[in-house]
Amino acid sequence: MKKSLAPYLYIAPAFAAALVFSLVSMGISLWASLHHFDAFAGAAGYAGLDNYRRALGEADSHFWLALGHTALYVVLSAAGVLLTALPLALVCQRVRWGQALFRTLYFLPSITPGVVLALVFYHLFGVWGNLLDDRRTALPALALMGVWAGAGYNMVLFLAGLTEIPQHLYDAARVDGAGPWQQFWHITLPMLRNTLVFVVVMTIIGAFQVFTSVYIMTSGGPERSTEVITYTIFLNAFAVAGQMGYASAVAWLLFGVVAVFVFIQMRLFRSRKVYDE
Amino acid sequence: MRARYRTLAGCLALLLVAVLAGLRSGMARAWVETSGAGRPVELRVWDWWSPSGNEEYGAYFAEVERLFEERHPEVDVILQIVPFGNYVQKLATAMVGQTPPDVFQSSVYWAEGFYQRGMLRPLDDLLQQAGADTGGMRLAEEIFLPPAWRHNHTPEGVVFGIPQIIDAQCLIWNLDLLQRAAAEDAEIRGMFPLLADGSPDYERLRFDAVQDWEHFRRIVRKLTTYRPDGSVDQAGFVINAYSGGAGMFPPWLAANGGRFQDEEGKRALFANPGGAEALEFMARLYWEDRVCPPFRRQIADAEVFEGGKVACMAAGTWSGKDIIRDTLGWKHFAKTAFPPGPRGTGQKTLTWGNMLVISQRCEHLEAAWEYVRLVCSLEGNLLRLKHLGYNGPRLDLYQTPQWQEAVKARPYLSNIKQICLAGDKLRHTEIIATDHQANPVFETLLLRYPDIAAGNGPYPSVQAALEEAARNVDQVYRRYHEQAGRWLEQRAGAVQ
Repeated sequence: MKKSLAPYLYIAPAFAAALVFSLVSMGISLWASLHHFDAFAGAAGYAGLDNYRRALGEADSHFWLALGHTALYVVLSAAGVLLTALPLALVCQRVRWGQALFRTLYFLPSITPGVVLALVFYHLFGVWGNLLDDRRTALPALALMGVWAGAGYNMVLFLAGLTEIPQHLYDAARVDGAGPWQQFWHITLPMLRNTLVFVVVMTIIGAFQVFTSVYIMTSGGPERSTEVITYTIFLNAFAVAGQMGYASAVAWLLFGVVAVFVFIQMRLFRSRKVYDE
Repeated sequence: MRARYRTLAGCLALLLVAVLAGLRSGMARAWVETSGAGRPVELRVWDWWSPSGNEEYGAYFAEVERLFEERHPEVDVILQIVPFGNYVQKLATAMVGQTPPDVFQSSVYWAEGFYQRGMLRPLDDLLQQAGADTGGMRLAEEIFLPPAWRHNHTPEGVVFGIPQIIDAQCLIWNLDLLQRAAAEDAEIRGMFPLLADGSPDYERLRFDAVQDWEHFRRIVRKLTTYRPDGSVDQAGFVINAYSGGAGMFPPWLAANGGRFQDEEGKRALFANPGGAEALEFMARLYWEDRVCPPFRRQIADAEVFEGGKVACMAAGTWSGKDIIRDTLGWKHFAKTAFPPGPRGTGQKTLTWGNMLVISQRCEHLEAAWEYVRLVCSLEGNLLRLKHLGYNGPRLDLYQTPQWQEAVKARPYLSNIKQICLAGDKLRHTEIIATDHQANPVFETLLLRYPDIAAGNGPYPSVQAALEEAARNVDQVYRRYHEQAGRWLEQRAGAVQ
């Protein structure tokens, strides 16, 4: 009895914190989404599904526009992270000396506050051809910053995954005459499946929640081209009187979209054993 | 055995953290008590004027606090600076946490909404009690410039704020560039008033220096020079198309006889030929007259103006102090209102008066009202003039020798009273939400005007774009009034 209780006691504090700060507040936001709710004055009547209907269907709703921008940002970020973090990890793994130094350097952006990064890139993009001034380049520019900021962190994850791959698999492949590309394609990539799934899922969840760069660098412009869902939520929650309920509804719609995405991904990349130890 | 040691070590660590936390809060409490020793009343005041942005704000608040605490030894003024951008969020948090400030500066952006939510205490009874006050302490509508007393009361006349400042949008001119051009151009020379000897006074501009939009266009064209490659070297005017910059449409609209919204805040009024003319005028200055530097998000209008490469920009009357600070003392600029458009009459702009308000949950009403009285008195206005170089909402300020001295020392202040008086009421209902609906449309109109004018743009015409923006703004108003109705019902329910 004692033995079976102990693990629960260990996780109890973390669970209590999650309950109070995540689950309870999520519950309140779900409740708010069904009411006319104001940040100052609280609830002012039951709204049913009106807030959801408004987000999905009314003419002046920017939900679909923002969702489209968010989806594009997600695609650019996920592709960008995969195309930079994995090659970086592969190169870093082969470095004979100073690997720790490179790891640290690449990891630095991950521990730099998002606001600082946004301010630095805000001015950099001004120097590099006014990327934030044009509706066609503003969102890719924000994604580029997101990729730069996230590449180091994901590189470390890939590096950890790479060190887990048994060396004898590569030795055997080389004996069989496999070249570097074949080794990568038939050993490295399959063996990194779990890391890959984790990185992609976390990148997608993070990208769906992009906010700081939009808030600091573009305020959703130019011409609404960088208006993403979280920015719509923020504006309605804190800058528009009595629209906290609507903002909560949009937040729950975003939650639904992310949940569907993650569920599909997990089904597609369901973890399985790929070799016998 | 080892596990026991670990448990013991863990408990000790927790204990240490608890002791440190206790010590810290104890120290904080001790500091507060020491700082307000012997003062039973703590008056919490919020403002967004931050000494971190300009140390003169620090000097101003220090003197207000010193004066107030000298006169009210029982009160400890606790000033809390909250950045403008987070003001509403922090206030909401304080309200929900039942710890709102007793007194705070409210922008006209939020004042109407705060009152309709029941957050602000009506001040009519306090004003009535103070009715016997005379001279510089008197607080009544007739004491203030009329445009300062527009945003602080309901249509029924309930007063919920006392004007602390008065601001207006205006045109700011670089007198160095104008003076240089005036040497060879009689039209530009005519913008300056004349000294007793008949020569131009190059330290200031006439209030009506620019007669109309055509005159403005001619002047800024003359003040624009180009590089050999055809790009603008010195610009006559600057327009920022992005976000806040697009918000410079309303004063041009006012100058053309238009209004952004109706008085009740139920309808947008800018989608008409007058509005289209105002927006086309701005767009043509950029695209056809080519008198502006390129649209750049990263470069603020003030930045290029202060760099000395722009002759005129649209800004607020408050910005003189910022220009002096940023340029390390340059004061050779002047301010005018906006010249009338084809449908306008006389010089125009938009004026507003941010105010001091008392929270409905204020715990020390008497002290709060005394604080409001000090800050909004003539003495308070003079303190702002002394430390910040600001004009004020009170009429009697402009009769004082201190004001005359200030105008002599900083001639850019000379038109300020007239500019403020020439202003229509700044839009007041859900400004941030309406900006979110309208500004992206204005932005598109400015950025892609040539395409739109040629019929290849995202809107068939400027008028059609404004109509779409107005429809969306009307939705904001509709929702706001529905919400305000619910607040009213809630309050009525609470009273019953």
